[in-house]
Amino acid sequence: MRTAIRGIGIVGGFGCGVDKLNSALISGENTIQTIRVKANGRKTEMPVFLCDTTALEGFIHKRALRRVDHYSSMAVLGSYLALEDAGMLQINHQKTAVVIATGYGATRATFSFLDSIFADGDACASPTLFANSVHNAAAAHISILLKASGPNLTVSQFELSVPSALLSACQWLEGRQIDAVLFGGVDEYCDVLGYSWQRFFGSNQNPCIEPLNWDLQSAIAGEGSAFFLLTRDDGDQPKYGFITDIQIGHIANGGPDIAGGTTLFLGADGHKLCGPLYPHYIPEGMRAASYTSLYGSFPVNTAFDMTIAALSLKENKIFATPGCRPNKSGLRISHLEQDLESKLIGCLKFGCNGEFGLVMLAGE
Amino acid sequence: MNPNTPIAVTGIGCLCAAGANLKQCMDSLFAGRQKFAPPARFSSSHPVRYPVFEIPDEFTFLGCDQKSDILRTARLAVTAAGEALGNAGWSPATMQEKRVGVCIGTTVGSAMNNEGFYRDFRRGCHPEMNAITRFLNSNPAQVIAREFGLKGPCQTVVNACSSGTDAIGLGAAWIRSGICDAVVAGGADELCRVTYNGFISLMIADDSICRPFDAHRKGLNLGEGAAVLVLESEDFCRARKQPARAMALSYGSACDAYHLTAPAPDGRGLKQALLAALTACNKTAADIGFINAHGTGTPVNDRVESKVLYEMLPGVPFLSTKGYTGHTLGAAGAIEAAFTIACLEAQKIPPSAGFTTPDPELPWSPVQHETDVNGATAISQSLAFGGNNAVLVFGKGDS
Repeated sequence: MRTAIRGIGIVGGFGCGVDKLNSALISGENTIQTIRVKANGRKTEMPVFLCDTTALEGFIHKRALRRVDHYSSMAVLGSYLALEDAGMLQINHQKTAVVIATGYGATRATFSFLDSIFADGDACASPTLFANSVHNAAAAHISILLKASGPNLTVSQFELSVPSALLSACQWLEGRQIDAVLFGGVDEYCDVLGYSWQRFFGSNQNPCIEPLNWDLQSAIAGEGSAFFLLTRDDGDQPKYGFITDIQIGHIANGGPDIAGGTTLFLGADGHKLCGPLYPHYIPEGMRAASYTSLYGSFPVNTAFDMTIAALSLKENKIFATPGCRPNKSGLRISHLEQDLESKLIGCLKFGCNGEFGLVMLAGE
Repeated sequence: MNPNTPIAVTGIGCLCAAGANLKQCMDSLFAGRQKFAPPARFSSSHPVRYPVFEIPDEFTFLGCDQKSDILRTARLAVTAAGEALGNAGWSPATMQEKRVGVCIGTTVGSAMNNEGFYRDFRRGCHPEMNAITRFLNSNPAQVIAREFGLKGPCQTVVNACSSGTDAIGLGAAWIRSGICDAVVAGGADELCRVTYNGFISLMIADDSICRPFDAHRKGLNLGEGAAVLVLESEDFCRARKQPARAMALSYGSACDAYHLTAPAPDGRGLKQALLAALTACNKTAADIGFINAHGTGTPVNDRVESKVLYEMLPGVPFLSTKGYTGHTLGAAGAIEAAFTIACLEAQKIPPSAGFTTPDPELPWSPVQHETDVNGATAISQSLAFGGNNAVLVFGKGDS
């Protein structure tokens, strides 16, 4: 299986588009905001990565977006940026599929729909909010706006949503029913998530994510979308290389099968429940990096790592792991920007229950 | 493996208001039993009590630890999977040796929408986290994999009302591409107040029993349930001398790209999905014995479906089974796939429940009486929010 990556579009706390991502990777500076969350009987400040989607108005008239909520806006913006990056914004999308991975779906619309019931009774439930609360609303908005009439799929598998959905995206391409797939991951922050964060992890949050400090709970909630325009391998050299393998498994049956020479991008995002799995299942001495401190913690962050991997393959370099502290993992962490040793990058994510996903990207 | 290679269906499990297992469901369908009533498990302040098809309390949920704190949807999924795996003759030890994937469709089962928790949260009552923990432990595909010790990939498809159909089509593709030896594929969804209110807010729920394709239809009734198919490569099931109940011949999927909640009036996405599915298995209208339509009972859905079926599969008998089950959302496509296979085996289809008066606006109407099936191939199709259309073509198996 070789799936070509033709374009990438990304929306995160750092801004939107490849240039903003590139700047964030070079500077290593995060864009953490602070919001007030009520939990444990008091209001506390909580760090979070939030997205601004106003750039979407550069692609679509405001009027067409009036019923598109924040969750879908992030996805639509990501998909338009990916198409623009691929130079394929204006083409006919009749044979384009839309495949989206999401951990929690449109949570703000889901709870706003409940608000409409609680405020005015069952008979006053909002149909617009209900329609936007359905998990596949984002994929539907993208298809409608682009007139993309290929298959349309949304997958929700928590931390494994991205590799799982990518499996089907690549298979649709292999099956030749379609010519391209707009594939992406999207998740949004909402007040309930903030409350849950405080309840599960406490209110004394670390000021930044320390992904390689495996035993420290340092996760900071985030949101965003990362999209890719994917096609079959047509024999040319695509802008960002190829997706060459997807592994999904569970540690009960053995860890990931990592080829020698691979540089690993670790999806470790400051959760101490799954952090220790990384050094345990990665061969010692392997070259690795982690960028979650730049964009935050949310289920579909593998899509963000894939974006950085695609950019690294294009630029033939590994960006420095931001805020890197010395670690005892036995891994070779890139403290400074370096040339790629081999054109093979694996994006590895462990879930909290021992499940894992590995997406391999190759430059050629 | 060829992308069009037939995949064997070796086991089926199903439960819904019509029955606690597939046999009971089919008995209900052919007896014309429709078990609907106002919701018993939740209340509503609507002045009208819209009927639903609820699973009765006396049905036993098999195959899962009753003490485990998981959502009803996940319990339904595990119960159907238990029946299907037993039916397929798989022992737990055998399953754990093979690459068995899980692909399950749902809507409610993936929604973080616990009303009690959120009501307390809004009031600043500092709710406990049990509801969130339960949600996080209840991903239907993951729960099935955990329960039966399955090692292949897991995927929970959240494509609204076509989720179950999509999950079966995608699961079959995993086998064709060599990712899995077998796949447990289907759909599950529970009734809940949130979706009940949502469908009423969209004004597409009927306050009496639903009447798919009937001139006086007013909308849908919600239901709940689950169905699971065990899919295997033909070689694999032959090697273990397990007869195939049916063959999953092909899957087609396409999007209307038209509207968030309404199908395209010209049925463009459904036509594209049907064409893709028929082309993939090299079948024509003449090969199709019957169609299990989506047939929700909403004026718009049924108009589009009737029009497309008349145009693309003229003369082929069709039915809707939602008058027996209600609309079970993410489970619907899987339950209807199970019914389609059972009808192929029986070589007959039950009357399309709720249909009595032909609609002059519809060019083609469903069967009103039990009807013999002529042919060894049948279609099950689903339409969904977001303009999704999904079509499965099944062929007769060995039985």
